[in-house]
Amino acid sequence: MLNQTHFEKLYHEYKTLVFNVALNYMQNIEDAEEITQDVFVKVYHSLENFNQKSTHKTWIYRITINQCLDFIKQKNSQKRFFIFGKKSQNEQEYLNTATFEHPGILMENQEDAKILFEVINTLTENQKTAFLLSKLDGLSNPEIAEIMQLSLCSVESLIFRAKVALQDKLSEKFNHYRKKK
Amino acid sequence: MERNNWIENILISTNGIKSVVPSDILFSKIQHRIQQENKVSSKTVWLVAASIAVLVVLNFSAIASKNKEKNSSSTAYLEMTVNKSNQLYQ
Repeated sequence: MLNQTHFEKLYHEYKTLVFNVALNYMQNIEDAEEITQDVFVKVYHSLENFNQKSTHKTWIYRITINQCLDFIKQKNSQKRFFIFGKKSQNEQEYLNTATFEHPGILMENQEDAKILFEVINTLTENQKTAFLLSKLDGLSNPEIAEIMQLSLCSVESLIFRAKVALQDKLSEKFNHYRKKK
Repeated sequence: MERNNWIENILISTNGIKSVVPSDILFSKIQHRIQQENKVSSKTVWLVAASIAVLVVLNFSAIASKNKEKNSSSTAYLEMTVNKSNQLYQ
């Protein structure tokens, strides 16, 4: 009973956090809802074994990110099975932002945000995670380091490399954009 | 210049992003899933117990039939040797 009350409290405290991390990662409302369910089912089952080494927030962030990565891998492997294709280098191939409009983004920025998410999806897993946590969740580098279980230097380097990669890819996109114009 | 402005606009497009609140029915879906999993787990326990019981029965019956076979073959051998040794005329 105590477990149930504690779980309900955690759900109401972190439901928005989990849903938004999943939404930013997956760029799909149905997938984000499914991941939110998976995360809280895991939280419910692991609540008894939760050690107080990290905060609930860090722990839930970690579960959410791992769940997003597993979900993408699972979808990619299903996709490969059906087309009998070989494994791609980029695990993000499942993600498709072409039609997704993020409900939290201002109407006038929707088109630009679509391009940004498309480019974010080409980053490596760690670069993408670090960049999203920093840019969209507004977390500090030490917080990201704790969630990703990496050193502060590694996180700084990941975010720096993510920004450089985004600049390069957006620069290429700009050429296409100008040709269309 | 135009390039840099365009890139900058894309990069700042997520500024002012608002948190999206998940649907209210999500919690009841989660509760339902937890209950379902608990039900499934007890079912699985019974299934595993039944499988083990079947395996044990099969093992016992296999051992029993082997023992029976062994007994019958040793009797046959005994009969054969007894017949041989009881030959009066060769």
